[in-house]
Amino acid sequence: MARARTRLIACCAALVGALALGSCAGFGNRQAAPASGLGPSQQRREPALSGNSRLLASIVDDSGRSSVLLQEQPSGRVIPLRHLRGHRPHSSPALSWNGRYLALLLQQGGQSVAVIEDRLSGQLHRLPAPGGAKLERLSLAPDGQTLALQVLQGGQQRVQLFDLSGVLEPDRPGGQRSSNPTAP
Amino acid sequence: MRRTGEQPVALARAALAAAMGLLLSSCGGTLLPIPLTGLNRQLEQAGGHHDPALGDGWLGVIQQRGGRQQVVLIDLKQQLPVPLPGLNRPDALPISISVDARGERLLLLRQLEGRAEVVLYRRSLMSLQPIVMGPGSIPTAVQLRADGRQLAVQVSRNGQWQIDLIDLP
Repeated sequence: MARARTRLIACCAALVGALALGSCAGFGNRQAAPASGLGPSQQRREPALSGNSRLLASIVDDSGRSSVLLQEQPSGRVIPLRHLRGHRPHSSPALSWNGRYLALLLQQGGQSVAVIEDRLSGQLHRLPAPGGAKLERLSLAPDGQTLALQVLQGGQQRVQLFDLSGVLEPDRPGGQRSSNPTAP
Repeated sequence: MRRTGEQPVALARAALAAAMGLLLSSCGGTLLPIPLTGLNRQLEQAGGHHDPALGDGWLGVIQQRGGRQQVVLIDLKQQLPVPLPGLNRPDALPISISVDARGERLLLLRQLEGRAEVVLYRRSLMSLQPIVMGPGSIPTAVQLRADGRQLAVQVSRNGQWQIDLIDLP
């Protein structure tokens, strides 16, 4: 009798545990991002995924300076970026749906500048800080039609929005994308 | 045949056009985006904001007002915040947010009772689901894929910054 009760309690405990795990961590595959290929101690931060899951951008410490690293998933193959090497440090990367646009902050002439690299056309678009404010972070809408900038102005953090629909083509699911992802 | 008085005007116009062309070419790809003036003014009047996260037509942002920080989701077409019942807690400090393209899923990293935790909020269900990190991993920033089906988490593990990818149902 006592053994049956113990077994019942154990079953209940297992069921409750399974339910708790299911409600808290009922998620699928969990993995580390693909290796950066820059050494085992390479630190990586500020991840940005493309909407179609093919690309991952992150910031790595390359020779003491923060650089953006763009990789294919899941292979981890590094995709070269034509325009960005000379203007480090980089921060706050963001990718559009198919990864056509890579937006980030970089330093140019002692000032922070928001840039968007169009990997399809090879163009680099610059957006200087509005009103001389310090740029701290950016976000690009998945379709590439809106940009949000976090700026520090007068000691306060503010967010400013910009409409890019007149200057960038939309990058929507199933839409136009680079036929060769290695091409800038 | 043009009258004599029109010639200086035409010359001035041509010179202006040439100067504008030169200016644009020297800028070399400088974007001239249009500020969303109404929304920017609205945000400014509502206090300080940080950690913007854009979906297609949605802005998630952390708002600082009256000494309190809370997550706000704004419908950019309506230019109005939408309710997020059950997401904000007075005893939690939001650190980083991300939103999917449809504005349906929000990923929030917050500080609660001295611990950093990641939660997934589904707006249509008004549900909040904690996402358990791996052992020894402290989350420090989050990003949700635009389709809301995968998240990337910046974690501190053994004193190193790493990135973990987690699939979502």
